[in-house]
Amino acid sequence: MDITNNKIGEVIESSSGGFTAQCYELYEPPPLGALLKVNYNSGHIYGVVCFAGTHSLEPGRRIIARGEDVDTEEAIYQQNPQIKKLLTTDFQVSITGYMEEDKIFHYLPPKAVPLHRFVYYCLNEEVKAFTQSLDFFRLLVDAPLPVSCDEIIAACIRYTGQAYSDPLAFRVRAGRELATLLGGDTYRLNSILTRLRL
Amino acid sequence: VSLDLEQVAAQIAEMAETLEARRADRESRLNFALNTMQALPDDIDKLKKKIDESKTTWLVAGLTGSITSCRQPVPCPEDNIVLATDGSQIDVDRHYSTRCFLLNIGVVRLDYGENADARLSSIPLLYFKDDDMVISSDNGRQQIIEGPLLGLKRTVEECRVLTAEGKQLPATSPALLLVDGSLILWGIVGQAYPDYVIQKLLVDGFIKQLDELKELSARRKLALASYVSFPRSTDVVNAIRIAICPFEIVDCDKNCPAANGHRECDAVDSLLDRELFDRLLSPGERSALFISRSSVVGKYYGDNEIRFFYVKIDGEIARVEVPLWVAVSTELTDFVHTMVLQQCRKGMGYPVSLAEAHEMAVVTEVDRNRFWSTVEQYYSGDKMVLSLSEKQKSKRMRWI
Repeated sequence: MDITNNKIGEVIESSSGGFTAQCYELYEPPPLGALLKVNYNSGHIYGVVCFAGTHSLEPGRRIIARGEDVDTEEAIYQQNPQIKKLLTTDFQVSITGYMEEDKIFHYLPPKAVPLHRFVYYCLNEEVKAFTQSLDFFRLLVDAPLPVSCDEIIAACIRYTGQAYSDPLAFRVRAGRELATLLGGDTYRLNSILTRLRL
Repeated sequence: VSLDLEQVAAQIAEMAETLEARRADRESRLNFALNTMQALPDDIDKLKKKIDESKTTWLVAGLTGSITSCRQPVPCPEDNIVLATDGSQIDVDRHYSTRCFLLNIGVVRLDYGENADARLSSIPLLYFKDDDMVISSDNGRQQIIEGPLLGLKRTVEECRVLTAEGKQLPATSPALLLVDGSLILWGIVGQAYPDYVIQKLLVDGFIKQLDELKELSARRKLALASYVSFPRSTDVVNAIRIAICPFEIVDCDKNCPAANGHRECDAVDSLLDRELFDRLLSPGERSALFISRSSVVGKYYGDNEIRFFYVKIDGEIARVEVPLWVAVSTELTDFVHTMVLQQCRKGMGYPVSLAEAHEMAVVTEVDRNRFWSTVEQYYSGDKMVLSLSEKQKSKRMRWI
């Protein structure tokens, strides 16, 4: 997961609990569940990708089907080069904590992310530092996410686990954390755990 | 208070009935016109001469060949570039004390083929200096730029940007430079502007750009064309009028004074060129090239005199205008024809490059309001007074 050029987008909408960023490359959003960061004061705000989508840059302009007379999907873009300039890929990030003066906090930062902040992937070392404690699951379990919370938590565990030399051990630790967090809600716990099977 | 549609509805019904009643009559006129066209001899020299010698009150197309000839599109070159500009404006608002206007020129470059790419941009230009706001003569006379004159200035700017961008294009692919509407600046003669306005805008502005493009075209494969959707022109219908005129020398004022509606040529009255070519052309085909004999072209356009053809797009007949230096080359005219057709097919009936250039240029009512409120903000930030007319204030606050 070491990504050299790890700047992927820019914040275009922001609120206390999360932000929306526009990708620099069409169809190149970060994976669901990825841990991302933006610069914040002397540290960073961290969050997990909870949604991505591609749509028209202008709200009033509908996308129409164009491929009736061509053989491949690529040919549509080849023959209509303007399309790529009129579309944009966005992703939404649910904030899971922040770091200030080298201390990590697994709750929401006091202020929302300013617009136009660059969004970066976290390097393996940062992922490991942020997931030393998994308290931030609490923020995801109850977050009003655009897709199922369980789906995002499972994706996050699968993604961040890759930063560890033993991803399975990380999944086990994450599973235990969830068991504590969800208490008697075994239905929900199982729903997440089934998404963690290798 | 909104429009009282109930009152209008009865009038609309009457309008529809009247139009319906005229339909059969129109159909027989159209058939007559088509029969006349097809009955014309292949040797058109006689009709050409009759047109050239005619004195009419309406605009007649000059002929370059058989009036009924149709031509299929040639295959489209695999690699090609289309460059289009379109503009919109925020006119001077006389209710504000600040005098300024804005032109927004949308530019679209579409590269097709192996290195397919698109560049979409807009260039907003704010004019506010005293010299920017008027066209001046050498002896100190001034014409204020606003309203229709601003529209003309916009057309010149669209062409200026098109030329500047055209010069940047790689010479490796053939290029079509496309503008919306006519290449003939009709408005400049219609409004009886002083000569220095025509000189500055048309001769030193628009025509100069056409000259530069002509030079560019000599060095690489490049064509300029304008696209008129749903044209209302009657140049070719009027050529049929000349053909059916019983007088040897056509001179309307002399031969038929005060006979409007009762002349032989009125058999094709009120028909439009597009109706003729809708019947004559098969989908994708273009008509013969015709010569625009408009006085503004004859007087000012020189080597850039305008030729035009009609082309049958899937949904309509469009008029495509090209300068003479394109029209004299069959290869370039064929290129324009096939490229316009391709552009329309990609754009669902209207050239996609022009549609996108329009999208880049368009200034909506919301943009207009945001523009003026930004002007206000800058003024209030600097403690300057931006006076607003009482009428404008009254429109903003709709009190009861």
